[in-house]
Amino acid sequence: MPAYMKPGELPSRAGLVVVGGGVIGCSIAREATRFTSDVVVLEKEADVACGTSKANNAEVHSGIGEDAGTLKQKLNVRGNRMYDDFVRGLGVELKRQGLLIVVTQRAIPRDGGMSEDERMELLTRKIPEGIVAYGKNAGIEGLRTLSREEVFRMEPNVTREAVAGVFDPTYGLISPYKLTIALAEHAVINGARVFLNTTVTGFRVEDGAVRAVITDRGEIETSLVVNAAGVFADEVADMAGAGGFVIHPRKGATLLFDRQVTAEYVRSSVAEFRLPGQRTTQSKGGGAMPTAEGNLQLGPTAIEVEDKYDTSISAEEIEEIFERFHYLLPDFPRDALISAFSGVRAPTLEEDFVIGASEAVRGFVNVAGIQSPGLASAPAIAEMVLGILHDLGLPREPRPDFDPVRPAPPKFSELSNAERNRLIREDPRWGNVICRCETVTEMEVVNAIHSIIPATNMDAVKRRTRTGMGRCQGGFCHNRVAAILARELGIPVTAVTKDGEGSPVFLGAAKEFLGGGQA
Amino acid sequence: MSAVRRPQCVVIGAGPAGLGAALAAREAGLSDVMLLERDFELGGILPQCIHDGFGSIVFEQVLTGPQYAQRFIDRVERAGIEVKLNTMVLEMRGDRRITAVNPADGVFELEPSSIVLAMGCRERTRHQVMIPGYRPAGVICAGAAQRDINIEGLMPGRRAVILGSGDIGLIMARRLTLEGAEVEGVYEIMDHPGGLTRNVVQCLHDYDIPLHLSHTVTFIHGRKRVEAVTVARVGEDLKPLRDTERRVPCDTLVLSVGLIPENELSKQAGVQLDPLTGGPVVDETMHTSVEGIFACGNVVCVFDLVDWVTQTAETAGRGAAEYVLEAGRRKRGPAVRVTAGRNVKFVVPQLVRRPERGVDFFFRVEHPERAARTRVLVDGEELYSRKAKMVRPPEMIKAGADPGKAARGPENVTVEVVAEEEEA
Amino acid sequence: MKKTHSYTCINCPLSCGLTLVEEDGEVLEVSGADCRVGEKYAVEEFRNPRRTVSTTVRVQGGVLPLLPVVSAAPIPKALVRDAVRMLSRLTVDAPVADGQVIYPDILGTGVDVVASRRLDAAGRGDA
Repeated sequence: MPAYMKPGELPSRAGLVVVGGGVIGCSIAREATRFTSDVVVLEKEADVACGTSKANNAEVHSGIGEDAGTLKQKLNVRGNRMYDDFVRGLGVELKRQGLLIVVTQRAIPRDGGMSEDERMELLTRKIPEGIVAYGKNAGIEGLRTLSREEVFRMEPNVTREAVAGVFDPTYGLISPYKLTIALAEHAVINGARVFLNTTVTGFRVEDGAVRAVITDRGEIETSLVVNAAGVFADEVADMAGAGGFVIHPRKGATLLFDRQVTAEYVRSSVAEFRLPGQRTTQSKGGGAMPTAEGNLQLGPTAIEVEDKYDTSISAEEIEEIFERFHYLLPDFPRDALISAFSGVRAPTLEEDFVIGASEAVRGFVNVAGIQSPGLASAPAIAEMVLGILHDLGLPREPRPDFDPVRPAPPKFSELSNAERNRLIREDPRWGNVICRCETVTEMEVVNAIHSIIPATNMDAVKRRTRTGMGRCQGGFCHNRVAAILARELGIPVTAVTKDGEGSPVFLGAAKEFLGGGQA
Repeated sequence: MSAVRRPQCVVIGAGPAGLGAALAAREAGLSDVMLLERDFELGGILPQCIHDGFGSIVFEQVLTGPQYAQRFIDRVERAGIEVKLNTMVLEMRGDRRITAVNPADGVFELEPSSIVLAMGCRERTRHQVMIPGYRPAGVICAGAAQRDINIEGLMPGRRAVILGSGDIGLIMARRLTLEGAEVEGVYEIMDHPGGLTRNVVQCLHDYDIPLHLSHTVTFIHGRKRVEAVTVARVGEDLKPLRDTERRVPCDTLVLSVGLIPENELSKQAGVQLDPLTGGPVVDETMHTSVEGIFACGNVVCVFDLVDWVTQTAETAGRGAAEYVLEAGRRKRGPAVRVTAGRNVKFVVPQLVRRPERGVDFFFRVEHPERAARTRVLVDGEELYSRKAKMVRPPEMIKAGADPGKAARGPENVTVEVVAEEEEA
Repeated sequence: MKKTHSYTCINCPLSCGLTLVEEDGEVLEVSGADCRVGEKYAVEEFRNPRRTVSTTVRVQGGVLPLLPVVSAAPIPKALVRDAVRMLSRLTVDAPVADGQVIYPDILGTGVDVVASRRLDAAGRGDA
């Protein structure tokens, strides 16, 4: 591993060790720093938010899609309510754009042996009212039914097959990786230490209690461990003998469209109502929604996979998405497709969250099976886990010196011209646009590289600044960003990676393959 | 940081189109021409196109890309045109107000009397052609690879597969080979090469690089860096035939799958675009639908030869100058629509406003055709007719005609390609 | 002994497939060409194929790390790879003038390799 990727010396002892730098691990770590600064987060990848947290649809669900009585629904409904307070001071925007559930003609096919009046009564009244009642029962506030006309007024691009709808105003969007990064940084501001490129290889357990975490870079003595290892949570739990559950990876692919073309194409999240029998897989069926940054996204799919690293997208999935949404949004702008991504969910066989202190190993807390609505549930999960940690000995007294603010670096594209000029006068790098599609300046890239959780590769810079995220997908800026990374990290450009070890962007310098050697 | 400047003409982009337009505007009598370029130097894409083959029409000489650019750069430097480098246009409004930024001036605003759009084009990416698979390092567009190799001095890969046989893809096959990388093959989904025959011969045949027609890449393997791609033959519907799939080990996939005119600013300003070209609808002076905004080069439609880009640039520059110098004295006349007739994919210009002057029509055919005749008809009257042994989609065709010479009208201008025998 | 060679004509969009038959270097027949230009092209490709070489050489102290260069005239096709390899070992100092001779008489061909642009000394503004 190159020197710039190597984390600093691990501490020999820590009050709490969180395994996994995803949104759940970082939420728990940040919440823990309200009570103690003695917190360590271990992440095997070169950045936080590198697993499920970087490749989901950014949805802060309300809980309407979950089965009644599940832990998932309970934590989702509560998490959604907690969100505004949870993100306050982080510099990450939560948009509550709402969810529009569209009831369409195909929800109940015509040949169902029912009179047309009965059918329409179901579609336009009973189903919408049923959804509202179901949501109210789960504690979701503000749900309301919509007529066909109201659906079109709200979302003019929705299919004319729509007959009614339900609007769920609490439904929101937040950039999952920006949130994770902000939580990690906020934890660090309050004393936590985050170690990247650090893999947990085992635990020392003595007398039925956890004593230490063993990593590829050394051992940390601790009596409190939170296992928030996402798709690897079962393997991590088994290392301690605290397992007993299986994560079976399920991937989901999403298509992403150019935000210049699709801004306002849908304003809320739009999903189609399907009867349980009409769903093909264990998932809520996905939808069409803007991203936190305004791109239209369609998806996700839900496909069981063998490999926990399988973030590939198949031709069939792309086809499936196009087919499904062609019905809901008949003329969505296919040509504006700029990207597709795939993430791996971490469901257990029971399909519910597994959160609790291990009975076999004292001090070991599993936070596993966190799939959608994990992002929405994160505040409530963290709250629940903190309760468990307090019982296991984490200080209960809030710290008076807890800093509630994580300063977010300025974004050139969001500033007024006066503010831009003030910054450019301070440092001309604010006036050097590196990514033309997303209007990202050199200074933003430099800031990302030198931030609290430093961005040391192309994707890490991209997640913080949006370089390469636009319609040209880095064609214009990739070599510029690579050059800045090389300069700031003091490494040759050929050592710059896309996302950590094994992913070099360039394989050689000019003339190198001809035996010409370095200049 | 300063007061709003009001140049007579602002040209956005300093590639061959912008350089040519700025010079033409200056030479047609404008004293205050400003050229905005986002790169640190002039020339656009040309400095990275180090191969030869440029300028046979404009200079009647075969030049390399940098040589072609250098001739214009030298002239621009002598002409007293104000050049702003490292300058990014952030916004352009329909009333021609431009907001731009660079490190030296900060954010500044311009209200020019005329604008020439010369932003060129960008490359189609892997997702726009929807190649399934992983998203590792090592998937790169051909033009981006060209810049890395020829300008930045960086090799994107050691063993490459190239998808798409457009000219840039062919040229990069040769370039990678000459720089010591290995090119396993070029795969083209269509049954004919996308680029010029000259490039197929001199870039592939000369180096024994196989060209697999009717083939595509169906999967990208490798989680961190490209490890292989799966290729397959395609059927007549261009869909991959699964039983022909073959895994090709490589560390790089180079894409040459098309270019898209870069019209984000044009859209902001409300410039009407032609869905066939992806660029602004223009008249014979390269005037767009927005008063005082002109366009030229690849932002209008993707040209095959830089010489044609220069020609449209000169027309646009002259048009802008004329517009400024005649300001207020003449209203824009009604426009006659130019119809893309038989076997014509698109025509530029799309409109003719002043038929009394000669017009050069640029167009591409939809499918290859032997023994054809290209014609320009004005209200049915043939004003241009030329025999062609062969017409092919990669090669743009130019037809000069003078609609003003038609006996009647003009009410309708049609550009078409007909088979020789159909004619008699 | 008679030998057959195939070429693709590059002189017009027709792209004729040309077949040249020769015996001990003596051209006997060219077929497949639609016109005289094609016949001539095939004979030239057989007797003395030449190509213009373009590549880059390293620059020291320039605004860019590489300088594009081109042979002032086509050289024998068989020498192209060797010429590029030879030029890859070269480093020139900035500034360089457009057309400046970078490598005279490459591989004894009598053809100079020249700079195909002006390249100023360092001071490049951006990253």
